[in-house]
Amino acid sequence: MKKVKQLLLILIFCSFLIGCTETKILERISLATLIGYDVANENDENVTATVIIRQVSPDNKSTLETQTNTEATNQGTRIKVNLQTAKKMLAGQTHTILFGKNLAERGLEEPLHGLMMNSELSSSIYLAVVDGDAKPLIEGNYKNITDIGQHVYNLIDHNVQRQHTVSSTLHEVVRNNYSPLRDLAIPIIKKEKDIIKINALAIFAGSKMVGQLTSEEAFYVIMLRDKFKAGALELKLPGDTLDQEKNTDEKLHVAIDSIQSKRTIKLVDKSTPEYDVEVDLACRIVELHSNANVGKPDVTKKLEKAIGKEIEKELKRIVKYTQEKNSDIFGFGDDYYASVRNSNLTEEKWNELYPNAKVNFKVNIEIVRNGVFE
Amino acid sequence: MKETLHISNNQKINAFLLFFIVTATQIGVGIHGFQRVIYQDAKQDAWISVILSFLLAHIVVYIMMKTLDMYDSNDLYGIHIDIFGKYLGNFLNILYIFYCSSAFFVIVKNYTEVINTWVFPYLSSMFLCLSILSIIIYTFKGGFRVIIGICFFSFFFLLWIPPILIIPLKYSDLNYLLPILDNELKGILKGVMSMSFTIVGFEIINFVYPFLKNKTKYKRYVHLGMLFTLFLYLSIMFVSLTFFSGEQLMKTIWATLTLFGFIRLPFIERIEIITICLWMIIILPNLCLYMWAAYRGVQRMVNISVNKFLLIFSSIMFVSGIFINKRTDINLLNDWFGKYAFAVVFIYPFILFLCALLKRQIKKMQVSNSEKS
Repeated sequence: MKKVKQLLLILIFCSFLIGCTETKILERISLATLIGYDVANENDENVTATVIIRQVSPDNKSTLETQTNTEATNQGTRIKVNLQTAKKMLAGQTHTILFGKNLAERGLEEPLHGLMMNSELSSSIYLAVVDGDAKPLIEGNYKNITDIGQHVYNLIDHNVQRQHTVSSTLHEVVRNNYSPLRDLAIPIIKKEKDIIKINALAIFAGSKMVGQLTSEEAFYVIMLRDKFKAGALELKLPGDTLDQEKNTDEKLHVAIDSIQSKRTIKLVDKSTPEYDVEVDLACRIVELHSNANVGKPDVTKKLEKAIGKEIEKELKRIVKYTQEKNSDIFGFGDDYYASVRNSNLTEEKWNELYPNAKVNFKVNIEIVRNGVFE
Repeated sequence: MKETLHISNNQKINAFLLFFIVTATQIGVGIHGFQRVIYQDAKQDAWISVILSFLLAHIVVYIMMKTLDMYDSNDLYGIHIDIFGKYLGNFLNILYIFYCSSAFFVIVKNYTEVINTWVFPYLSSMFLCLSILSIIIYTFKGGFRVIIGICFFSFFFLLWIPPILIIPLKYSDLNYLLPILDNELKGILKGVMSMSFTIVGFEIINFVYPFLKNKTKYKRYVHLGMLFTLFLYLSIMFVSLTFFSGEQLMKTIWATLTLFGFIRLPFIERIEIITICLWMIIILPNLCLYMWAAYRGVQRMVNISVNKFLLIFSSIMFVSGIFINKRTDINLLNDWFGKYAFAVVFIYPFILFLCALLKRQIKKMQVSNSEKS
């Protein structure tokens, strides 16, 4: 009995040793924080990866370095990068992954699959497309940006949180990619001298990038895809909205914020197909370039109507654009599948249906309050 | 009927502990990736399969308990011998011991595979297997009441799961659940069958039964325990179905872990790593109880000491673990075990119940005949 106990004790101590397997001591590893992929060569499959690597050194300073390599697979590039660095590279701290525009146009199917297979990466990292190639953006010198990996992540993260651009976590992108009836939308970022900015929104058909929307138009995309919890928008209304004497060409500028919206999509005719989309939107006026008294009910009503009309117009235009590109980023196909029984809807069938789909909009605006000064 | 097991009073447990025993044995490694298997058959109606499988399980467990109630205080092994005689009974006992051992084996293999994939890709699975076995042996040596105590504690390690599922709920799309019942009934029923790997565990009451203090009011705890598991499985199923798109769910091997991988808390970035390590405590009662059930059966057939049994059992597990290491092998093993478990847990109790009824009837007739003559 005593012997068994001793043996067990030894075994248990051995199991505590599990804590000593595969140590990853911060000073002895380097962390990839930002990865960019580009097409290396028009003719072959190879992909150039540019990696920002952060190295933490014992004297409390961390250094950044950039490594670039070309290989067909992620792991292949990784081996090559390891050959160039003094410390083992790990990818667990990667928060953002960038794709060059050329790669996005060639198709993101394989890169996305590779990212999902890797258990090191969390599926909550952000993806973005770079206008041009990713490499110059990552390697560029910026006056005010010390850590570009963190900077790009923060840039995308806060804009996603404030709903200024479409959320593009790896999970959401992969989800839409594998859903045959819905297409991707990923923000485009661009280097402009000393700053990096979110420039536009890339839209995809299948997994290939086919077009782009401006970042103002991204607002409407979010409105149709999801609900707003806190959005902001600037609109140009026709000049005669509040003042009959002015003519239509003069624009009345309005800015609204604290937008809360909810949309309902209803399939009314499944042969065309035809949708009724109703958007309920509550907001607050923060800026109005007019002297009209917004406190008056009839003025508010006029404004509400004009804003609603303007939004309807924009929505129509954007949906039309995606139809031309055959990129269903709003998930109309999913709605079709969800509301029609035994539809046997396939990707090919939906690709034929979507460009001809008819979408009717109805936007109900409610101006809840205005600023502190009338 | 005549054969009864005599368990001393200090070995017995309260009936309400059955609640913890049932949940602890039901929830094991299956929960990590059951969504994909069921989705393959039942598509967006996978949650109906989950509910149906639990309905079936409730019926089965009711029949099991009816059979057990026919005997005063006996476990399944004793019932087998009483009904089928020494030879056939012992043969069935061997089959059941084999079932318990393979359940043990499957759990260990799946868990080491998860650790190898997510946490330590370079760690030898043999070493992992060895350390798991040593922990189990240590617990097992503590005796039956210690195992039950572990069941009790492991329950509280499950309670954090439902609240944390609220975070991915933000990204879910209810459209993925629609249209309801759009698939053939056959697919949904097939999904019920695929659930068997995940849902089994409650058959352990066949062996715990003689250890109960109060045998009149124990049924409700078994049903309650299963309801809790249903609640947990169903909430995970709903969140996964709406969080992932269909094709994506089919490609995700451990959907629950990927789901956790998405969650990012301010103080910890990757909670699935911690979840996986914590899961050791959740599968511990599972493993201990299956080992214990196997031990009870072996002990009935041959006179063997605990130490000897532990040595033989763990070396068999360890050695067979060396041969099965590849993912494809493990998948095959899971498929095979799922079918075996379905037969043993879901079909066999009905046959046993009928046999027990028949046996009682025959005995009654014999008694009345002998009274007449």
